[in-house]
Amino acid sequence: MSNSLNVCIVDDDDIYQFTMVKTLKSLRLAENIMTFSDGEEALDFMLDNLHNDKELPDVIFLDIDMPIMDGFQFMEEYVKLKPSLGKKITIYMVSSSVDPVDIERAKKISEIADYMVKPITHNQLRNIVEELGLSGDR
Amino acid sequence: MSKDNSEQSAQYNKIFIEQAPTAIAMLDKDMRYIAVSQRWITDYKMEGKEIIGQSHYDIFPEIGDDWKANHQKCLNGAIDICEEAPFKRADGSIQWIYWDVRPWYVSEGEIGGLLMHTGDITPQKERERERARMIEILDKTNEVARIGTWEVNLSTNEVYWSKMVCEIHEVPENYQPQLETAINFYKEGESRETIQRVVNEAILTGQPYDVEVELVTAKGTSLWTRAIGSGEFVDGKCVGLFGIFQDINKGKLAEQALSNANAELNAIFNSKSVAIITTNDKGVIDHFNHGAEYLLGYSADEIVGTKMPFVFVKMEEVERFRQDLFQKYGKDSFKGLAENNEFDVREWTYIKKDGTKITVQVTLSPIKNEDGEIIGSLTVASDITAIKNVENELLRKNQVLNFAERLTMIGNWQWNTVSNEVRWSSNLYKIFNVDEETRLTYDTYFSFVHPEDKEMVTNHVQYALEERKFPDLLHRIKLRDGTVKNVQLLAEIMTNDAGEVMELVGTCQDVTEQRMAEIKFRGLLESAPDAMVIVNEAGKIHLINKQAEKLFGYTAKELIGQSIEILVPTRFSKGHTSHRTDFFTNPKVRKMGEGRELYGIDKNGKEIPIQISLSPLKTEDGLLVSSAIRDITTQKLAERKIIQAKEDLEVFAKKLILKNNQLADFNHITSHNLRAPISNLNSLLGFYEISENEEERIELFQKFETVIHHLTTTLDTLVEALKIKNENTEDVLEDIELYPILLKTQELLSGEIMRTGAVIVSDFSKMPRLEYNRIYLESIFLNLLSNALKYRSEERVPKICITAGIENGKNFLRFTDNGQGIDLKRHGHKLFGLNKVFHRHPDAKGIGLFLTKMQVEALGGSISAESEVNVGTTFNINL
Repeated sequence: MSNSLNVCIVDDDDIYQFTMVKTLKSLRLAENIMTFSDGEEALDFMLDNLHNDKELPDVIFLDIDMPIMDGFQFMEEYVKLKPSLGKKITIYMVSSSVDPVDIERAKKISEIADYMVKPITHNQLRNIVEELGLSGDR
Repeated sequence: MSKDNSEQSAQYNKIFIEQAPTAIAMLDKDMRYIAVSQRWITDYKMEGKEIIGQSHYDIFPEIGDDWKANHQKCLNGAIDICEEAPFKRADGSIQWIYWDVRPWYVSEGEIGGLLMHTGDITPQKERERERARMIEILDKTNEVARIGTWEVNLSTNEVYWSKMVCEIHEVPENYQPQLETAINFYKEGESRETIQRVVNEAILTGQPYDVEVELVTAKGTSLWTRAIGSGEFVDGKCVGLFGIFQDINKGKLAEQALSNANAELNAIFNSKSVAIITTNDKGVIDHFNHGAEYLLGYSADEIVGTKMPFVFVKMEEVERFRQDLFQKYGKDSFKGLAENNEFDVREWTYIKKDGTKITVQVTLSPIKNEDGEIIGSLTVASDITAIKNVENELLRKNQVLNFAERLTMIGNWQWNTVSNEVRWSSNLYKIFNVDEETRLTYDTYFSFVHPEDKEMVTNHVQYALEERKFPDLLHRIKLRDGTVKNVQLLAEIMTNDAGEVMELVGTCQDVTEQRMAEIKFRGLLESAPDAMVIVNEAGKIHLINKQAEKLFGYTAKELIGQSIEILVPTRFSKGHTSHRTDFFTNPKVRKMGEGRELYGIDKNGKEIPIQISLSPLKTEDGLLVSSAIRDITTQKLAERKIIQAKEDLEVFAKKLILKNNQLADFNHITSHNLRAPISNLNSLLGFYEISENEEERIELFQKFETVIHHLTTTLDTLVEALKIKNENTEDVLEDIELYPILLKTQELLSGEIMRTGAVIVSDFSKMPRLEYNRIYLESIFLNLLSNALKYRSEERVPKICITAGIENGKNFLRFTDNGQGIDLKRHGHKLFGLNKVFHRHPDAKGIGLFLTKMQVEALGGSISAESEVNVGTTFNINL
C-alpha cells in the first residue's frame, strides 16, 4: 500500500473527523492526514502551499455544511485556484444530506470526483485509496 | 301907447320884417299878410306878386287841413316849431323847410295874428340824402365785395374791426382783438411772416402795403384775404395803422381751380391713360401724345409726319366705320360729321407695334378751320381691354354659374315681396319641370309645395318675414306629374331703410338624392349594435342613434347641439377637450383612451365603463368624428372577478410557497441535522466494538456523549419549532409594553453585558406597545441581543441599538449592532437555517436565528438582515 498519499478531511463535525482519521489509520490507508473545520481553513492551507506538492493533499473529503465557507463555496475558490496548482487533487464531496438538490449540484461540478453520503464505509475508503494509489504508481 | 305911436310902431315893425334877412311873414288873425320879408318872397318865389292883404291860404293853396289846424292852435296862443318837414308844393316839387310859428300880441292877452319864421333847407337836405345814399351804396358794395375796414391805435394797442372784418374772421361783432391776436389769425408760416414784415415796415417807414395772405378763422376755416394798410403819422411818429381787409377766397380759389384745370388738361394730354392722335388734312399724323406711345408701342418720332392711322387700325373696321357714317349722313363720312358738328364714339381694335390686339374706346372728331373746311381729325382713345376682359369674365362666370346650378341641381330665385314678382334661374324651372315662359308669383311656388308640408312652409315664410331672417328650410315639392322631390331653400332678406322687407333672394337645391343618402345613413346608424355619437370639430353633438339614447338616457333632441362633454364625467372633461383637439388635427380611425379606463356619464349622473372607437367622417358640414361607444359594465365586472381570483391565488400561492419552504427546511433538518449525528453514532459504535482497551473505550464514550448531547439539542429545537408551527398563536396575543421586555432581556444577559461593557440604547417612542405573543417576543429579544453580544467585534465596544416604529403602515422592530457582521453574499441564503453558523465561535449553534424566524413567521411577520463585514449587522423584523 502506498503510504505517500496525503489525505485531507474538511468537516466541522469533530466526531466525523475523529472517526475518519481513526478509520484511515486503522486500515493503514494513509499516514499524512490533515483536518480542517471549514473550507476557508483548507483554502488558506492550499494557498500557503501552492507549489509545495509534498504538502498538498492528493485527496480531499469535503463536507458541504460548514460555517464560514461551506463545501460549495470552497469549490468555487478551488476552481479559480486549480490552474496554478502543480498537483492533481481528487475531491470527494461527503455529506450526511441525501437531499437530491445537493447531490445534483455536486455532480455538476466537474472537479468533484464523486458525491458520497455519510457514513463512508471501510470498503469505500479502501477502494478510493487503492484507486488513487494505482494511478499514483503509474 | 297912442294910436299914432302904435301905428308908427306897426310901421317900424313892418319895415323890420320886410328887411329881415330871413324869411318872416306877419299875418293878422284872418291869416292875411301884414308884412313879409324880402327873403320870404324869394324863398317862395313870389317876386312881383302883391301879397300884402292876401290870405296865406290863397297864396299857398297846397296847405293842408293839418297845418291849418296848427295855425288855429297858434292863434289861440300855441307855438309851433318844426325842425324840418317836406312841403309839397302845388307844382309838385318838394321843398324842405323849417318853421317857427307863434302868435303876436296887440296887448296883454290879445292876439293880433301870427308871426311865421321859415327857412328853406332843401339844398342841405338834398346833400344829406346824397351822402346817406353814398354810404349805403358803399356798405352794400363792401358787403358784396366782402371788404371791411380796420384801425389800430398804436399808443393803446387797441384794434377796431368793422362788422365785415369780424365776419371774415368768423368772430362775433363785439370781438376785441389786439394787434398781436389779429396777426395770429394769419396762417402760420409764409402768410404770418408776410403780414408781420409789412406791418412792421409800415410802422417804421410809413410804407403802405397791399398783400394777399392766407387766414385761419376762429372756426378754423382757411381762406385767402387781401390786407391793405398804411400808417398814420403825427410829428413823424407812427401813431396808428388803418386800412381795408377783403375776403378774396373765392377769387383765389377760382384762380387755383383754373390753374388746376389747366394742369389737368396738360396731364391728360401727357398722360399714359389716354391716347390723343391728330392728323392733318392729308390724313398724316401730326400729333401723337405720350398716351398714344404707351398704348400702341410706337414712339412719336416713328409716326409723326410720316404715318397714317392705318398702321394700327384694322382695315375692315375702317370700312365698317365708313359705311356706318355713309348710311347716317348719305355722304363722305368725315364731311357728314363736320357739317353736323358731331363726333363718332365706338370700340376699335388697335394693333400694337408688337402685333398684340387691344380693344379701345375711340372718340373721333373732325377738325375744321374758321371757314368750316376740314383740316384734320382728332382721335382720343383709351384702352378698355381690361374692362372688356372683365365683361367677358362676367359673361363666362355667368355661364359657369348656370352650369354649376345644373350640376348641383341648384336654382336661384328672387321674390319681390312688394310687387309679388318672382324670378327664377333657368335651372330652377328645370327642377320644378316648368316651362320658362310661365309667369311666376309666390303662389306659383307655393302650389308646388307638397300638401303635407304646406303648413310648415307657410309658417316658415311668415316667421322669416316677421323676424327678417330666413333659417334654412327643407321641404318636399310635388311636381305636376306627381314626382316628389326634396328641396332645400336658403335665402337672404333684403329690407329698405325703414326696415321693411322688400325682397327675398336665395337658392333652392334639389336634395332628393342627398336626402335618400341621409336616410340610408340614418338606417345604417340605427342598425349599429353600439351607441353611436357623431360630434363636430367644436365638440357639439351632431347626431346620435337609438342605442346612444338608450345608453345615456337622453333623447336625441336633448343631446343634439349639446357639447359632448355632457357625456363625460367632470374628472375627465378637462383632458378630453385637448384629446379631441388632437384627434381633429390628426384624424384617423383609432381606439380612444388606449390603456386607460374610460367612463361615460348618463342622464342620472351614473358613470358607465365604456370602450370607444373613433373614426373621422368627412362631410359637407366639415370634419365630424363618429364614436362607437360600447358599454363594458359586464366585461368590467368579469374582469374584476378574474383579477380578484388571481389575487386570491397569489396569496394562496405565497402561503403555499411559505409552507413548502418550511417543509423543505424540515426535510433538510431531517436529512442532514439528524442523519449526521446518527451516522457519527454508528461510526463510533463500530470503533467501540473493535476497541482494544479501556482507554480507547473511555475516549469513544466521551465522543458518544458529545454526539448524544448534540442530538438532544437538535431534537429539542425541532420540538420547539414544531410547537411554534402547531400552536394557535393568535390565541395568546397580548398587549405588551416593549421596554420592560428589553429590561428583562438585559437582566438575563447582564453578566455578558457587564463583561463586554456593551452599550444598549433603545427608542420605542414611536411604538411603545405591541400586540404580540409574549414568549416569542422575549425569545426574539433574547436571541437577537445575545447574538449581537456574541458576535461583537473585538476591536470595538459593542453598541446595540433597538428601535420600534411604524413604516409603510407596518410595525417594525430593528436591532442594529456594530459587531463582526456577516458576509451576506456568502451566507445570506442560510442565515436563518437550523444549525447554520457563520463564525468560528465556540457557542455558535445555529439555533437562535432559526427559532426567531419561526416565531416571526408564525405570527405573519418576516425577518431580514443587512450587514457589512466588520461594520455591523441590522436585523429588521416586520411584525
